[in-house]
Amino acid sequence: MDELYLDNIDEFVNDHNKIVTYKWLSLTLGVHVNTAKQMLFHYLDHKRKESSAQLHATYLVSGKCVDKGLTSHKVSIVREEQLEDVKAKMSLIVSVHIYSVQKALLKDSGPLYSVDYDAVKDNLKSCSRYSAIRCASAVPMSSLELQQRGKRIELLHQNLKTKSAVNGNGSLTSKPSAKPPKGIMGMFANKSTPKNQDSGKETKSEQKEDSPAVDAPKSKPAAKVNPMMNFFGNQTAKKPEKTMKEEEAAPSSSTAEQQRQSPQPEEKPDAAAAESHKNTKKDSRSKNKRIEDSDSEEEKMEKKKRRRIKLPEPDSSDEDVIPDSPPQMETREASPSPKKEVEAVKQSYQMNSEGKIRKRRRVLKSRTFVDEEGCIVTEKGYESESYSETEDDFQPTKQAPRDPVKAKAPSSSKEDEKKSQKKSSANANKGTKQASIMGFFQKK
Amino acid sequence: MFSDLSAQKEGSSLLSRPASEDQGPAVFERTSLAYSPCSERYSVGERNFGRQYAHIYAARLMQMRPLLSQRAKQKWGSDVLIRKLCDMQTGEQCCIVGTLFKRMELQPSILKEISEEHNLLPQPARAKNISETDELILEDELQRIKLEGKIDKDKCVTGSVIAIYGAERNDGKFTVEDFCTADLPLQRARPALSADRFLLLASGLGLGSSRADSMLGLQLLVDMVTGQLGDLGEQSGAATISRVLLAGNLLSQSTQDKDASTKAKYLTKKTQAGSVEAIRLLDELLLQLVASVPVDVMPGQYDPTNYTLPQQPLHRCMFPLSSVYPTLQLASNPYQADIDGVRFLGTSGQNVCDIQRYSSMDSHVEILEETLRLRHLAPTAPDTLGCYPFYLKDPFILEECPHVYFSGNAPTFESKLIKGPDGQEVLLVTIPEFSSTQTACLINLRTLQCEPVSFSAFSADEDEESEMNISH
Repeated sequence: MDELYLDNIDEFVNDHNKIVTYKWLSLTLGVHVNTAKQMLFHYLDHKRKESSAQLHATYLVSGKCVDKGLTSHKVSIVREEQLEDVKAKMSLIVSVHIYSVQKALLKDSGPLYSVDYDAVKDNLKSCSRYSAIRCASAVPMSSLELQQRGKRIELLHQNLKTKSAVNGNGSLTSKPSAKPPKGIMGMFANKSTPKNQDSGKETKSEQKEDSPAVDAPKSKPAAKVNPMMNFFGNQTAKKPEKTMKEEEAAPSSSTAEQQRQSPQPEEKPDAAAAESHKNTKKDSRSKNKRIEDSDSEEEKMEKKKRRRIKLPEPDSSDEDVIPDSPPQMETREASPSPKKEVEAVKQSYQMNSEGKIRKRRRVLKSRTFVDEEGCIVTEKGYESESYSETEDDFQPTKQAPRDPVKAKAPSSSKEDEKKSQKKSSANANKGTKQASIMGFFQKK
Repeated sequence: MFSDLSAQKEGSSLLSRPASEDQGPAVFERTSLAYSPCSERYSVGERNFGRQYAHIYAARLMQMRPLLSQRAKQKWGSDVLIRKLCDMQTGEQCCIVGTLFKRMELQPSILKEISEEHNLLPQPARAKNISETDELILEDELQRIKLEGKIDKDKCVTGSVIAIYGAERNDGKFTVEDFCTADLPLQRARPALSADRFLLLASGLGLGSSRADSMLGLQLLVDMVTGQLGDLGEQSGAATISRVLLAGNLLSQSTQDKDASTKAKYLTKKTQAGSVEAIRLLDELLLQLVASVPVDVMPGQYDPTNYTLPQQPLHRCMFPLSSVYPTLQLASNPYQADIDGVRFLGTSGQNVCDIQRYSSMDSHVEILEETLRLRHLAPTAPDTLGCYPFYLKDPFILEECPHVYFSGNAPTFESKLIKGPDGQEVLLVTIPEFSSTQTACLINLRTLQCEPVSFSAFSADEDEESEMNISH
């Protein structure tokens, strides 16, 4: 047998300064694992006889161990000098072979894993080619078989679904239950409407106007105000006349929610008049989309948990700076998050302008019926319903008086200080929630 | 057991020069055996979480009542008076079948936390939630009654259905004189096997944890099973390992990074969930295994599937490399299968850990036996253990006695052979967590013997010791 491999191993060990494990050798030279183990032994034996540079080896020992009456099979990797000790401790030795050969003395066995890992990773597809065990059934499936298998699983799932009466699903029709709850929750959901109008307006103006009318006179329709300024704060709209209020409002606009709401009341008188039909239509269209948003905002007040709720925070803290340094606003315009929003609404706007006359919308309706088991089941679900434009036009005017402008102001200052407390206490959160609900009932 | 078998076949030593080339290296054929999964009862088809949990208890009591009435008659004579709570007379000696409920002062309760919000102090997690003040209550369909007397309240857990014998006293409490459980269900006879065949059980691989040093042990395990490691004898022995069962917690707890959900999104935008890397690692590991041996993979508490029992199989799309092999079986938790006629039943250990927390029992194997005697896999579900709101049927009631009953992620390896009243023979096995103990276990299907297999390497701080183990 040609002994070229001795030179090979020598090169790996001495020149490359590698840790050569039997497994790595087997994969690198493409030989059976047992042959690789013998090669390592032969190499070590050969080198020791030459008594050249010192080499270190680790061994694998496995066998029966009896510990407190409990027999177990033990597999260990040991250094050469401990080999005899370990062997002595075992009551029956099953196998001993060289695990690795290297120049340096290994302090711990960690590197042995990483050496093998790279080799195994490169040969993942054929990792068991050189092992001593063949498994007849372990043949990779072809893509066709995989597809068939996938189909079978799908079928199985369908069977399960139909069979699921076992679990008692039969009585309840399964509908997606992503509906906003009634009561207080419902009120929160309502809030989304004013908000939508806000953003809707902005997009529209962005599309139509290029003039950066920052200091727009009051007589001008609100829609003409620079869209971005509009987006970011109430001060733009208010500036011309109510500087006092602005000062009060600007620092208080701490949370994102307020930010979005507060501009709206000031603009409402002009806006309601100036807004075109398209605008309001768009609102109703985007309502569905935004309902989720309002939900999450309400959740934010309860608990800072979800990631997307957190999202507004960086924005809001940025905006605190705005009143002091107007130039920064220009840079804000480039910030991605508002833009994205604007684009999204724009899209829905275009969709909207295609079909004008009759629309469909989804409405939450509750149905009550008696099911098979005699229980009365109330089910809430969205149903689509057609409506005409005129109906919709009422919405802004209806909602305008309901808006909690005045009530917001005191609560906002409260919120501000809470924010400084990092909103950790559950009590504080409760407080804000309460305030905003009360705001709803206050007359304007 | 395994060692003896492997050592018998003394081949040529590997501490010698390679033999001449014409003598091809020895290759052993993996022994295969009949396998049929029977986990249908643990798969949940269409999921509906709108229901209350009361139905499970109702279904459980309804299914268990006839069994327990029969046991009660066996134990206390066929003329024993079996009453419902509403028909019971004070002072009358009778037997009542009902569900136990243990009122526990220390049981964590979300309602309590909310109501005491103003002085909210996070309760330290306890190892045990039992205390002196616990009360044991028996419920049937309509009523409940407090229990006293010869029943160890610390050992009992909520949700177990039992039959009690005794009488109600004037103060409205029931004095228990004796009680009985449903005990082991009937067992199919185990076929006599001609040859020794092994099944390897491992759990708690804990991939993706910060402790990378345990990976060598895992690699040794894979190498042993796939026939890379050891002498010819060892390899021929390994060829008789005809199946590998991984019982849950393949991923480490640390892959469930709770920070991600509380951090601002812009801070976590570029970070990847820890479980992604861990699953990739698992896929590579599984690939090495499935190319050589059939593998069953059960999910566990920390694995990416649903949390509530029964846990559904991990999705195969997470394993692009290994799922092309027909030898990979993604199983549910609880797991049930016939392997060469031997019925296996077990979980990844959540049920046992939960009972450990709410009772005085500490040994996992003792708890396993208790659940078998109660004839219920997870009595504490849905009270303290997450569980799907089953409606018409409680799938955790044992209808057939397994031959091997196991649970995963135990602190140590334990096994016990128990005998039932009708001649049943069950091997109880607790599979130790591999990442901390570096131990798996082998079951001989022919003899139902069980033995641990441990792996060790050396580390820097254990220089003097000859026997080194990363575990502590």
